[in-house]
Amino acid sequence: MSCPMSFGELNIPSSRAFWDDCEEDELDSNQDPEKLDLKFQEGAQETPIPSELFVLIEGPNIEGFGNAVIKEQSSRVICDIPPKKSTSKLAFNASNKQLLAVLEDELSYSGEITELLIPYAQVAKNVFTITLKPKVEYKSEEINKYSDDITIVRGVDANLKGVIELEAPNFIVGVTAGIASWCKQSNHPCSSYIIYTDKLPLDEIAAQPVLKLLQKLGVPCSTSYTPPRKDDSHLYS
Amino acid sequence: MLFLKNKELTKLNVENYTVIIPSICVGNAAQLACDLLIASKQLRRIGSLSHPALIPVHGPSAYQHEPDDRVASCELYEGSEDKLLVVQFRAPFVSRHVSSFQRELVDLLKDARRVVILSGSFGFERRVIESSPYAYRASDRFKLEHATQLNNSAVVQWKEHTGDLIYGGGNGLQLYKAFEQQNVPVMLLFRYLLEGDNSTDASLIVRELNELCDDFLQLRGSGDGGFKLTVPKSWNLLFGNDVTELLF
Repeated sequence: MSCPMSFGELNIPSSRAFWDDCEEDELDSNQDPEKLDLKFQEGAQETPIPSELFVLIEGPNIEGFGNAVIKEQSSRVICDIPPKKSTSKLAFNASNKQLLAVLEDELSYSGEITELLIPYAQVAKNVFTITLKPKVEYKSEEINKYSDDITIVRGVDANLKGVIELEAPNFIVGVTAGIASWCKQSNHPCSSYIIYTDKLPLDEIAAQPVLKLLQKLGVPCSTSYTPPRKDDSHLYS
Repeated sequence: MLFLKNKELTKLNVENYTVIIPSICVGNAAQLACDLLIASKQLRRIGSLSHPALIPVHGPSAYQHEPDDRVASCELYEGSEDKLLVVQFRAPFVSRHVSSFQRELVDLLKDARRVVILSGSFGFERRVIESSPYAYRASDRFKLEHATQLNNSAVVQWKEHTGDLIYGGGNGLQLYKAFEQQNVPVMLLFRYLLEGDNSTDASLIVRELNELCDDFLQLRGSGDGGFKLTVPKSWNLLFGNDVTELLF
């Protein structure tokens, strides 16, 4: 494991091979880990629910925004998605048969969670993924064009008017990437949207483009979002 | 999970194929070398792999010659004329699943004619400065089948590695041992290098591999014995965006 760093200290990673800070000589001792499972609510259907539309939203500190969308839709939470209970969840709206997955950024588990959610994508007629990323991660040769924009919206196989296709070398990672990749390989309909934003977690202004996108995709939601009040400031968040 | 583009195929046939696999090593040099190989030889994407050990990746194609493809965490590229299969990784591994992933990967590729794993090691681990910046490790079967090339000191001056660990080499040695256990002819070739702009290291690894494996790489196009490498479009902005004007 890496040591705590002092100010100004140069950090040369001992290995680039492992996301989770494993040393190369520790690898042999690793046993096959326990499998993750979806934590179903009492009385909820445990088999994959067929849906008209399966929407996945993933990003850092997405819980507050996700809860607001679920509440607005009057959807019922079916299960918590591991590893963190209650931050990531799957909700179903029986009236319009829309399934919504709210996913906290957790790359170490994203491969496993993808495998848990693929059965839901398999029985969905259409899949949309939305990934929220900090704006600084957007790479462009004309980056100065976007210096005043709060949000940059891009798509991969997106068929929404006005959404520009994502250009290399940009890409998405995580569960949304896993589901979109599975759909592509399996010839299953899927469009991916990436929202590069100046403000994460989303606030009233930064949430606007996300809400507009959801509405355009046919996901009923409010026109505004007020983040839940927190006791601590957002100064370092 | 193996996804093959040709849905009529149920398994990957690698008989008589040479398989090149990058380890995720210092400077990502081995992955960059595989990028150069795929782009220069315009290899065809035949499928991809998914596994909990692989952090999922999705996005626009990394190569100019396959514009409609989408990147994935682990991609498989084929050059059917040269019987060449190149594996490309685009994300680091999740360590707790690596053993199971390596078992699956070895099982998938164990029928190959030979497997070459590319890697790198920290430059400061090279103890003798005058020695070759490359080192290798090869299974007995590989050595037997390539005795002519490996013993030709005019071409190959690599030092044989015998240690238990390659510092900075990522999962390369573990993967090598897994193939060796299955009696697959396997070689691990690595270059001593440092973090930074490793695009030159990647070209040098490809050049060195070409010395040994000229028969299947066949990268020599021009009459002077040199070869031309194509840089993939995913190498644009390798070190991020231009500095914003607002800074000044």
